[in-house]
Amino acid sequence: MATIEQNLKPRRFDLARPSRQHLLGYILLAPAVILVALIIIYPLFISVDLSFQNVKLARIGSARKAFTLANYEKLFASPDFWLACWVTVKMVTAVTIGSLLVGVSTALLVNNKFRGRTLARLVMALPWAVPEIIAVVMFAWIFDSTFGLISWLIWKIGLTTELIAWVSTPGPAFWAITVTMIWKGFPFVSIMTLAGLQSIPDDFYAAAKVDGANALQRFRWITLPCLMPVLGVTLVLVMLWVFRDFSIIKTMTDGGPLKSTTTLSIMTYEQAFGFFKFGYASAVGVVTLIICVVASLAMLGRGSKAMY
Amino acid sequence: MNRTPLQSILLYGTVIFAATIILFPIFWLFNTALSTTVELTQLPPSFWPEEAQWQIFTKVWNDRPIPLWLWNSTITAVGSVILSMTVSVLAGYSLSRFSPRGSHGMGLFILTAKMLPATLLVIPLFAIFRSIGLIGSLWTLIIAHSTLIVPFTTWMLKGYFDTIPRELEQAAMVDGCSPLGAMFRVIMPVSMPGLAATALYSFVLSWADYAYARTFLVNSQGNWTANMGITTMRGEYVTDWNEIAAAAVFVAIPIMVIYLFLERYLVGGLTAGAEK
Repeated sequence: MATIEQNLKPRRFDLARPSRQHLLGYILLAPAVILVALIIIYPLFISVDLSFQNVKLARIGSARKAFTLANYEKLFASPDFWLACWVTVKMVTAVTIGSLLVGVSTALLVNNKFRGRTLARLVMALPWAVPEIIAVVMFAWIFDSTFGLISWLIWKIGLTTELIAWVSTPGPAFWAITVTMIWKGFPFVSIMTLAGLQSIPDDFYAAAKVDGANALQRFRWITLPCLMPVLGVTLVLVMLWVFRDFSIIKTMTDGGPLKSTTTLSIMTYEQAFGFFKFGYASAVGVVTLIICVVASLAMLGRGSKAMY
Repeated sequence: MNRTPLQSILLYGTVIFAATIILFPIFWLFNTALSTTVELTQLPPSFWPEEAQWQIFTKVWNDRPIPLWLWNSTITAVGSVILSMTVSVLAGYSLSRFSPRGSHGMGLFILTAKMLPATLLVIPLFAIFRSIGLIGSLWTLIIAHSTLIVPFTTWMLKGYFDTIPRELEQAAMVDGCSPLGAMFRVIMPVSMPGLAATALYSFVLSWADYAYARTFLVNSQGNWTANMGITTMRGEYVTDWNEIAAAAVFVAIPIMVIYLFLERYLVGGLTAGAEK
């Protein structure tokens, strides 16, 4: 760098001069910073502010209500909130485990060399390209109570004596959503795992073979440890996705029946735009965000740097 | 690698089995669209339409405001892609080349922004848009979708610019190019594939939104996006599943086509920032 800049004749206001380089860096960064400040930071600030006020339908510019902790007190005393936490934890766990199992196994499968592998990889990642709302259309019909395929199939093989009303019974509604989310979410795990698998040098396997390790041992002592960093990040990203999901749950069950699929995200939205309690809803949302940030930083620990 | 015939059969068998399950919902969507109402309301379900009802597609296209919805989704996506790409190309380049002070904090901020639940951000945004009278306009979506896209694209582009050797700009500057000239005349043309992939990916992000469209546009039918519109096709008591399925095909096709272009860049895109 230095030699090049010495070759250039210094002009008075020359952005190429080393001392001006930083200035140019800031100028280029400015539009993004301003935009983000306007559309993310300022709104975020408003919602934290709203969560400490007793507001119904908020409007910017109207007089600020008195500072109060009532929203948070009400929240932590509310059984609905704790139920939503429990539902969220259950759903995040079920979908994450499901997506990891399906995603990693499909990735291992298409990592083999065989004819048609390119096509197989394309197929494996296809659900990723299906918009969430379209996935819901597919699965809402597959899980239909009267003419749905799954109800009929389960009845046909004799597991139940009558058709299951998936979306209107608490337990089955939860599983219908879980299956939909796994179908939509596993390709991401698959794609990430495949990238991880391809970055493992072949020498590792060759060396292990020389040492007489069998396939299972090679998987346990080479593949798995090498995949761990990628899997850790992927796991957190999948969990965050489920934690914050709105469209799948909203359009499939709307949080029902009996709040059995009301996650924290759905509860936030319901309070804000169902009951128009913006202050209370913001409190739920702020708590959700704090859980997201704390949980993912804790899980990644020092590895959190790898995420950005 | 040499396999015994048994291993080959086992491998292909598993691949076909997995592919069948993964593709089944998509097959079922087409099966539903092409079946008659009678076939859809019988048990056992019909797995293949007796006579494929292709006219359902023209019927849905003409009877329902599908073209309008697709048009609204397209305008929104293009608008938010232009807005986000403009700022994040500059920012990504700056973060990659000048690493200005505080860029580490920027990384941490972007990480947090990725974790923001849309259901939280939608509340203040609604309050803001209501005060300035924007509720019901597509501008609300262009702005709201940028909150999803900018953190993502900035980091993806930074990662992409990092892969382009600095010697390129240095050579251009020795030849008398200004730093900005080097950026626009040398680096941007070289980065075209990366820029295109990022833009397409952002398009997909905008197209997939439902939360913001539902909140800001629920009372302005003329501005409904495809996702918003399609959810209103489910009736409370009676739902014409073949019509919804046909509409769903229309909504999914643009994204599927983009996906075919994007597939090569997908791994790079998704893992951008995930690995150092």
